[in-house]
Amino acid sequence: MDAQFVTLLRPFLKYAGDQEITPDSRLRDLGLDSMRAIELLFALEDAYDVVVPDEKLVEDTFETCGSLWTMIQELRAGQREAA
Amino acid sequence: MTATRMDVQARDAVAEVCAVADDEAGAADEAASFPVETVGAMRRTGLLGLMVPMEFGGGGGSLADLAAATVALGRSDTSVAMIFAMHCQQLVALDRFGPDELRRRVLPAVAAGEVYLASVTTETGKGGNLLMSESATTARDGWVHIDRTAPIVTGGEHAEGFLVTVQTPDATSPSQVDLVFAERDQLELEVLGGWQPLGMRATRSVPMRLVGDVPWEQRIGEPGGFRTIVATTFGPLAHVGWAAAWLGAAAGACSRVVSHLRREHVDPSSELQLTRLATTRARLDVVRALLAHTISVLDSWDDPAATPVQLLVNTLKVRAAEECFAAVDELVELVGLRHGYLPDSPLRLERAFRDLRSASLNYANARLLLANGSLALRDTEVRLA
Repeated sequence: MDAQFVTLLRPFLKYAGDQEITPDSRLRDLGLDSMRAIELLFALEDAYDVVVPDEKLVEDTFETCGSLWTMIQELRAGQREAA
Repeated sequence: MTATRMDVQARDAVAEVCAVADDEAGAADEAASFPVETVGAMRRTGLLGLMVPMEFGGGGGSLADLAAATVALGRSDTSVAMIFAMHCQQLVALDRFGPDELRRRVLPAVAAGEVYLASVTTETGKGGNLLMSESATTARDGWVHIDRTAPIVTGGEHAEGFLVTVQTPDATSPSQVDLVFAERDQLELEVLGGWQPLGMRATRSVPMRLVGDVPWEQRIGEPGGFRTIVATTFGPLAHVGWAAAWLGAAAGACSRVVSHLRREHVDPSSELQLTRLATTRARLDVVRALLAHTISVLDSWDDPAATPVQLLVNTLKVRAAEECFAAVDELVELVGLRHGYLPDSPLRLERAFRDLRSASLNYANARLLLANGSLALRDTEVRLA
């Protein structure tokens, strides 16, 4: 996870406080609800210039910080290949 | 979803319970008391165990059976229908997610009519957010200590079992929530106040404090796993059950009005009356269709928490609440002051109106619309379930 990702994530995690955010951090436990999840998604799409397809918008994707980061990485890799 | 799909025994049970409810509902509404006789009939007839699997001595009912029974009960008394539907919601959650030992112990007792289940999910200060709990718990040597205050516990004074949401022991945030089963004698129960609402008075939904130590094996689902139970079971069962209760209430009211119009030889050429009646009837048919469709989707989709399914399930609740209340409001206009507004009319529209006014508030429509707004943004293809 890069620093930008963690910085972007933190405001959406109302229970995270000062604790370190790791790939295993569970997004729901840190306070990400389904309303904020969609806002976070838009922020990630802007920051990483990707479009997240509907089939990725499932509970598993929003399980942990790592699962979300993996999805972004996969989408970026896919776009590089396409280009 | 028609009554004919229920087996004869279940249909007889529903008819018997409705007969008792017809006798008891007026007094229970007036006193805001729990319909003890009617729930007693549910125990005696086995209706309380409709959703218990047959291997545990229950009715092995389907979601369609649950809805059909609830609609029928709602025609007699909305509160009774709600009490039944919510009990079944707890029961199905326990059956699907409870550990085997607990299922073997509790489900036969429910089937035998010995255990009526109440739900303890409300909490002050969380704004109705089901997926949060401020009630911290501690676990020691396999026991979890519960000390929980809930502003609304339907039937809490009469239940033998409770499904209680609490924070996961040693949780780091209020969104780590567990569902725990507790028997009545495992808890000290204190009723903290009365119940004098506008409608749904016989649900007797009192504020309570529950304190006790419960074996951690009585947890329903994985640790912190209440979210999954809500998405796949609690949410769908609640919305189907509530919609069925409201549909029954509105259909019963409409039936009494039509009988009244026929008896009174109302002018069949009155265009105003006919269009009002047609609009009311259409509202009921729309809700009935939405209810039946939602049940078939829940029965056939692999993932009951898929975005299109969640959207549909929430829409069922929101639209049923709006349409059923609007239908009864329209019936009040149709029959006028004497039969529409006064509580002693045999048409009982005044009570149905008060009961159904709660529908949009009973898990707030506004909250579900917000949820559906963000869900709709996840589905650019608009995959209609």
